[in-house]
Amino acid sequence: METFLQVLVSGLMLGALFAIVSVGLTLIFGIVKVVNFAHGEFLMLGMYLVYLFTTKLGIHPLLTSVIVAPLLFVAGVATQRFIIQPLMSARDDHIQIFATVGLSTALINLALLLFGADIANTPASGLRTPITIGPVRVLLGQLVILAVSIMLVIGLQAFLKRTQTGRAIRAVAQNRAAAQLMGINVNRIYMLTFGIGAACVGLAASMVAPLYPTSPNIGTYFVLTAFVVVVLGGLGSLTGAFAGAMIIGLIDSFAGFYIGSDVREVVVFGMFLLILILKPSGLFSNRLSLSHVSP
Amino acid sequence: MRKTVTDTTLDTAMTQARSKTLPWKRIGLFAAGMLALLIIPILIGNQFVSHIFVTIFIFAGLSTAWNIVGGYAGQLSLGHAIFYGIGAYAGIILMNLGISPWLGMFVGAAVSMVVAVAISYPCFRLRGPFFSLATIAFLEVFRVLALHFRELTGGATGLMIPLKFGWEWMVFRDRTPGLLIAFGMLMVALGVAWWIRSHRLGFYLVATRERESAAQAAGVSTVKVRLIAVAASAALTAMIGTFHAMYLTFIDPSSVFSLTTSIQIAMFALIGGIGTIFGPLVGALFLVPLSELARGWLGAQALGLHGFVYGIVLVLVVLFMPNGIVGLTGRFFNGKNDEKKAQAAPIAAAARASRPPIGNDILVVDHLDKHFGGLHVTRDVSLTLKEGEILGLIGPNGAGKTTVFNMISGFLKPSSGTVKVRAADGSMMMPVTPGDFAAIGVGRTFQIVQPFAAMTVEENIMVGAFHRHSDVREAREVARETAHRMGLGHYLDAEARGLTIGGLKRLEVARVMAMKPRILLLDEVMAGINQADVRRAIDLMLSIRDTGVSIIAIEHVMQAVMSLSDRVIVLSSGQIIAEGKTQDVVRDKQVIEAYLGKDFVHAEA
Amino acid sequence: MKLPNLLKMTAAAIVLSASAAHADVKFGALYPFSGQLALLGEESARGLEIAVDEINAAGGIQGEKVVLVKGDAVDNNQAIGEARRLISLEKVSAIFGTYSSARSIAASQVAELSGIPYFELGAVADEVTSRGLKYMFRTNPYAKDMGEMVVDMVVEKVAPGLGKQPSDLKIGIIYEDSSYGTSVSKHQADFAKEKGLNIVLSSGYPAATVDMSSLVLQLKQAGADVVLQTSYQNDSVLFLQQANEAGYKPAAVIGGGGGYSMQPTADAVGHDVIENVLDVDFTQFLVNTKATPGLEAFVEAYKKKYGIAPRSGHSLNNYVGAKALMESIGKAEGFEPDAIVEAVKAIDIADGQTAAGYGIKFGENGQNERAAMMGMQWQGGKLVAVYPDAAAVSKLNVAK
Repeated sequence: METFLQVLVSGLMLGALFAIVSVGLTLIFGIVKVVNFAHGEFLMLGMYLVYLFTTKLGIHPLLTSVIVAPLLFVAGVATQRFIIQPLMSARDDHIQIFATVGLSTALINLALLLFGADIANTPASGLRTPITIGPVRVLLGQLVILAVSIMLVIGLQAFLKRTQTGRAIRAVAQNRAAAQLMGINVNRIYMLTFGIGAACVGLAASMVAPLYPTSPNIGTYFVLTAFVVVVLGGLGSLTGAFAGAMIIGLIDSFAGFYIGSDVREVVVFGMFLLILILKPSGLFSNRLSLSHVSP
Repeated sequence: MRKTVTDTTLDTAMTQARSKTLPWKRIGLFAAGMLALLIIPILIGNQFVSHIFVTIFIFAGLSTAWNIVGGYAGQLSLGHAIFYGIGAYAGIILMNLGISPWLGMFVGAAVSMVVAVAISYPCFRLRGPFFSLATIAFLEVFRVLALHFRELTGGATGLMIPLKFGWEWMVFRDRTPGLLIAFGMLMVALGVAWWIRSHRLGFYLVATRERESAAQAAGVSTVKVRLIAVAASAALTAMIGTFHAMYLTFIDPSSVFSLTTSIQIAMFALIGGIGTIFGPLVGALFLVPLSELARGWLGAQALGLHGFVYGIVLVLVVLFMPNGIVGLTGRFFNGKNDEKKAQAAPIAAAARASRPPIGNDILVVDHLDKHFGGLHVTRDVSLTLKEGEILGLIGPNGAGKTTVFNMISGFLKPSSGTVKVRAADGSMMMPVTPGDFAAIGVGRTFQIVQPFAAMTVEENIMVGAFHRHSDVREAREVARETAHRMGLGHYLDAEARGLTIGGLKRLEVARVMAMKPRILLLDEVMAGINQADVRRAIDLMLSIRDTGVSIIAIEHVMQAVMSLSDRVIVLSSGQIIAEGKTQDVVRDKQVIEAYLGKDFVHAEA
Repeated sequence: MKLPNLLKMTAAAIVLSASAAHADVKFGALYPFSGQLALLGEESARGLEIAVDEINAAGGIQGEKVVLVKGDAVDNNQAIGEARRLISLEKVSAIFGTYSSARSIAASQVAELSGIPYFELGAVADEVTSRGLKYMFRTNPYAKDMGEMVVDMVVEKVAPGLGKQPSDLKIGIIYEDSSYGTSVSKHQADFAKEKGLNIVLSSGYPAATVDMSSLVLQLKQAGADVVLQTSYQNDSVLFLQQANEAGYKPAAVIGGGGGYSMQPTADAVGHDVIENVLDVDFTQFLVNTKATPGLEAFVEAYKKKYGIAPRSGHSLNNYVGAKALMESIGKAEGFEPDAIVEAVKAIDIADGQTAAGYGIKFGENGQNERAAMMGMQWQGGKLVAVYPDAAAVSKLNVAK
């Protein structure tokens, strides 16, 4: 029973990690409708920034988000403006995928060039402190991730529902052409969305970096899982993505413990395929999201 | 055979040039080019150069095979390494059992085809990026399974071949035979790709990619053609995989079931020109030497520099050559082509034969109901169409006319009620899918035009013509003749996306006419046609009717309704409110009320 | 447009290589210099470079200066391509390499077909020398040596230190699921069974993972006293951290090289956490230099040439292998493949005579039969040799 609880809690904590990493992708994938293969590299970039700010300037990792998130916002806006937007009118929408693959390759190698292949170690600054609750143990940092990811989802949800800009973003997501006719500057909305998505990753980086060793390839460990989470949650649904992340975290944890670590990827991807095929609109699709299957 | 491969007007300069030269000259040019590719490495006589060319041939071949699915069918698979891996493992596993890879190659191809169909069938419902993500997930699953089933695959440590030499084993001390086989594989892949693209299957694939519903209406079994494409592509990929494994002599799961390889395969096609026959080859010819050189120059400079430059170059190429190298050269040679807006010519005056008598019921609709949740779109619609008759279907906007059309062409399943169609042999059938309806001779147009945007006008109409003629030449004849009748004769080579809305309406009709349907469902085809042409269009419809075709026309242009229809049915709020001779119906109070409101009726009275 | 260019360049390359081929003897240096394996690929190549410097300083081989030609084996297809380039374009007399087992296996097939000797100085998979190749020789210890020494350490040191019979210990074997982890763990399991150890868990996992907590829980549940992990850097750090945080404290953790031998791993995990963790790998640098003559000179040469201390023992092992091989080739007549092979087969260096400690004598299959790993332990933030006793600079600690 104790073990079961620990597996459960580990799964939830892993889910929170996936959630915080995937929230930004949900926005980008759900609204701009671009498969951003460089998403993981944004995280990697953010983690290196956190590493630099903590080790060189001695700032607490959580505080670095104040600098790192805006920096990534700029990176996101630039990516949308200079790479994605010019391709929006291309005949083949596949082409954007390859642009992001190129970006991802460039960023991984840039990190290799600047930081080398060795791991960069962000000081834990107390975030690795284990906390014992009854029979289970979690890290302080993991609880922070869980709390922040919940707040982030609630905050973004409110932003999308309550503010003028948020409503414009939703309008663009629902029907780009109609939104354009209503006088919404679609390109601006896309840039903003991409920026916010990237900023979320920056925020995530400030919490992930103290817990996980940073290396040029760290992004690739996350990116497929993040896509799985976003698709499971239903395109563009923030709460859906959060729930999807929790489910993947739990599946991963339980499959790892009860089946074996060598095949847990098969279980996760198998579940993903099953849900994609049986319920392609995602487990928690809201009415906002567009269907992504042929009628 | 004048122009067999044009996908888009931005297609290869080769193609464009070739369409203007004599066939034998084209073939000669192509043969010379390919021969040069083979002879250069043999003449240079150096192992490393041979290796570069073998790599080019292999990746060009893989990419050409991928292009059948990714380009023609527009399904961006990022899991093609699955088939490559199956081929590689089949070849090596069987060779270790003493079976020649020439045989193993076909075993791998067969397994790949089965796997391809099994994983593609459920995935084809997924659009765009979701399909890509699903293929990536399948690839990951295959990789982990290959790691896990060690008895079969050797697990993570991989499999090696015994070094047995000779043609029988596909392993050579000499470099020329490997070069020949790789070249042969590329030629086979190019041959299959060319064959598909220049035959009905290719037209169907591109049509399905461009507009699935319109393709279905044209009688294309969209799932079937895509499965054929994916099976052919998988088989080719697996065969090349077998050879590459023999060439490498050693494989392991992470190197064969690799996402990087999958992306690379797609990338060559993309850079060369996606959806074109030679694009993948051009892409590989460009990229393989380039990355070799980049590695040579930058690789030793600093860790990651070469990868960084490679990534940046990739982004730049995608940004500035979004249509690939082939597209770039195409644009260079025919800059004007995609700029001009085609304005359709007048519709040809139709010669009228004498009208055959109206015959038996050919389409019987009984009590059709359709509701979405609590919303009733049509209620108890029954109607009958007789052979050789024109039935007008009118009613205010939102009356449910198009919904009725969708139900009597298989695009919408009725909630209740039946649709029966008399087949050519006289029996009454109950078709279900759009394919069934098309097969039995029901052709339809769409109110919102659905052109195959990237195909030319001629090719658009050919997709319809293929319904009756499987031969490309015949279909082209029919398409041209139909195009001339619809006043599209001048725009045969123009891309459909360049047409005006009037032109697109005509294209819609031309495509369905080329199917030579027995029952024609026309959804507001007169809208957007100028006044002068409406008269000609009416004559055209009448001449079609005179050949024995039965027509139901949804129409708002009253002139057309009045002069065309033998009978009229009026639909309002999903129900039939009037039916009968045209003259009688338009005087019906209820009809006027439905159209113009109660006040108008009172004013009249 | 592109083809003629390529042709020109190739032609130029041929001319260049032809003119450079005078008087010098060329050897290929085939390592992954880019891509994911670049770090240790380059580190390995540095050992070879230092060996060449020393040989040239001493007058070269058979009076001729040694020239190294680099080849970048970033993936298997590339390894083959580069091997072909080295052999046919550069006309090297032998190829040295490769760090990565997969690249070594692929490239050595090409060398074998061309009849060019292939010297492996660092790859550990069994298959490198188990294929019966005529021109393949490996100087470094491999997966089997690693598995054997890990189990020996458990039996001879850990169990007595805990005051238990070896068969009473519960052993958990975890490994990253690529070729490296799989082959080492297989030998660990085989030797453990041979010695009557009790394996309670054996599980692979993908090295590219962000969470190992379920594996930690499995080990904890199974009550493993000794954990044998074969891993890269990321997963070594994750395991050690997550085990610590889950309150799981096995009596001994023995790493199989990879991440366990690297200083950044210790810094990332924390020196207190990694204290007393054991490691079996190539000879590193904090050893009893009586057993490894020439080690200090090597470290000096390395520092002088590259400006930093060696980053891992890979360079040392490549250096030792390359130097012994080149010295033996110096005793041959000419650089014909068969002459080289004959000279190399005659090598007979006793244990304790090289900078890595192990001797060199090739067996039938071309594997150095005297090659041995070394047992080390993290003590006070440093990785020090503790096993075998002759090479030890410190006592092997076992926390009860």
